[in-house]
Amino acid sequence: MSEQTPPPERAAESPAPQPETQAPPQQQRANGGRDGVILEVTDIHTYYGSIHALKGISLQVREGEIVTLIGANGAGKSTTLRSINGLNNPRKGRIVFQGKDITNDPAHSIVKMGISQSPEGRRLFPHMSVLENLEMGAFQRTDRQNFKEDLDRVYALFPRLAERKTQRAGTLSGGEQQMVAMGRALMARPKLVMLDEPSMGLAPIFVERIFEIVKEINQQGTPILLVEQNAMMALDVAHRGYVMETGHIALTDDAKALAKNEQVQKAYLGMD
Amino acid sequence: MNVFFIGLTNGAVYGLVALGYTLVYGILQLINFAHGDVFALSGLVAFSVLSGKFLGITSDDSMVIIIGALLLCLILTMPLFAVGNALIELVAYRRLRTAPRLAPLITAVGVSFIVQNVGLAVYDVEFYGATELLPRSNAIEIGSFAYQWNKLIVLLIVVPLLVSLTWFVRSTRQGKAMRATAQDKDASAMMGINVNRTISVTFALAGALAAAAGLLFLLQFNMRYDTGFQLGLFAFTAAVLGGIGNLSGAVLGATIIGLIEAFNEGLRWGHPLDGAWFFPDVGAPSDWTRAVIFGILIAILVFRPEGLLGERTAEGT
Ligand SMILES: Nc1ncnc2c1ncn2[C@@H]1O[C@H](COP(=O)(O)OP(=O)(O)OP(=O)(O)O)[C@@H](O)[C@H]1O
Ligand SMILES: [Mg+2]
Repeated sequence: MSEQTPPPERAAESPAPQPETQAPPQQQRANGGRDGVILEVTDIHTYYGSIHALKGISLQVREGEIVTLIGANGAGKSTTLRSINGLNNPRKGRIVFQGKDITNDPAHSIVKMGISQSPEGRRLFPHMSVLENLEMGAFQRTDRQNFKEDLDRVYALFPRLAERKTQRAGTLSGGEQQMVAMGRALMARPKLVMLDEPSMGLAPIFVERIFEIVKEINQQGTPILLVEQNAMMALDVAHRGYVMETGHIALTDDAKALAKNEQVQKAYLGMD
Repeated sequence: MNVFFIGLTNGAVYGLVALGYTLVYGILQLINFAHGDVFALSGLVAFSVLSGKFLGITSDDSMVIIIGALLLCLILTMPLFAVGNALIELVAYRRLRTAPRLAPLITAVGVSFIVQNVGLAVYDVEFYGATELLPRSNAIEIGSFAYQWNKLIVLLIVVPLLVSLTWFVRSTRQGKAMRATAQDKDASAMMGINVNRTISVTFALAGALAAAAGLLFLLQFNMRYDTGFQLGLFAFTAAVLGGIGNLSGAVLGATIIGLIEAFNEGLRWGHPLDGAWFFPDVGAPSDWTRAVIFGILIAILVFRPEGLLGERTAEGT
């Protein structure tokens, strides 16, 4: 194999900001940092006890974007989300959300600032009904009057949940549980949603639907940080992507370029 | 019939303590061995409040004064032990939250000894009781059915407490946070619930209920620094019987244990072995209460570990 097409930027070697190749659709009011950057993660190191899980991760999410984080099992994708959401605060580095340093904030106050998520494995409250789970999503909100409106929005995205609202979450099918997890994240009226493998374990028809919904949520104005095993689909809906390898970012580029990148194709898209 | 009501009354006291075990277990999967001792210490403190220099209540005072004093005592001891129990969690258990389960369990045994020793240091080995404070005259009397004042007060205090606890857990924001935290701590934190504060509130509730139980016990029986050991085990058995982690289960289990104890001791039936030639003297039935109750504990653990009202779930869920 000889020379390749233009090599993707290597994140570690070029800390300079990305050229705006493909601007996301709604590049509106700069709600915080420069260039509409809403979340800025800079060189974070996160540990599980003595296990050094993240060895200097940097990434950004801008207003209106879908950013995807792909990589093999154990690369540290979920750990990156847990560092941002406050469940595993990093020991080194900085996380800035809407201009505020949230590096060491506890999880419950980060939700209040506007980051919500659908975690890996869904993590519903199994003994509560679908409706109660959705209510828990709005737990930290004080504006109760908008609650009904948001519930209608979630039911519009997932009509199945309206039918099942009194059923206990633990007895739902995997796909239905995934819908509850995403709906619950939206009930927080987030300014950024993080989705950890929303398509995991779902039938192909559900997978397509989930990605359509990811796009729909984004088009309604919410930026999304999407962790996925299904790199093909993820790169298809995302504006930009980061490829993780054992605790660091190996590659970053806009999603179209990553999908064409040979290394990515070999490693994550199952092509030769 | 009277035996039945004695059982119900004792069961109500066990129930308050059992709720403390079950609340804490539900949220931390920790058997808080110190809980029985917190109960005993609260009873002794209640004695100090009621007697001597402080309130100086005697059975000669009028019913209104006595009941007022009892309520005042609860207003003092319940918040005191709520805070105390929350502090125990903060100091002894919080840092071990992610440690293997054995570590907090051993710590709980340690805390149990510490609390007991505080009781011993302050109150020595003597027994204290306020059993004469409330008249044993009948408060309600219909035919052969009689209910005495000193038993009635127990239900008068326990029933409102259970109603408010149920309301709190079912309907308040903090109660919802408790139920969510019991099901999944990480997910709860992701919903914006302050998990640490929720656990503190749970311990505080358990402590307050134990303080109420301490006073009620003091009105029925004599107690001292180590009374909490056996009563704690009875209450724990009740919690397991009903399904540990399940609030109604704890009350149901405690009622059953109270009734078993009362019938075992009250009916003076002969034990099957009593007087048999090979084992002529097995003693009074009350000597057997503990054996019966712990026999039940073992039987549940073997045959139905999830308890009467508990659900069969995988470990740790
Ligand atoms: N609770 C934990 N304790 C110890 N190590 C952990 C823990 N959770 C994750 N790790 C380790 O941290 C590394 C990163 O894990 P992480 O879950 O972030 O990977 P991932 O990229 O999300 O993988 P997957 O695609 O399988 O979900 C792995 O090596 C994993 O073994
Ligand atoms: Mg993961």
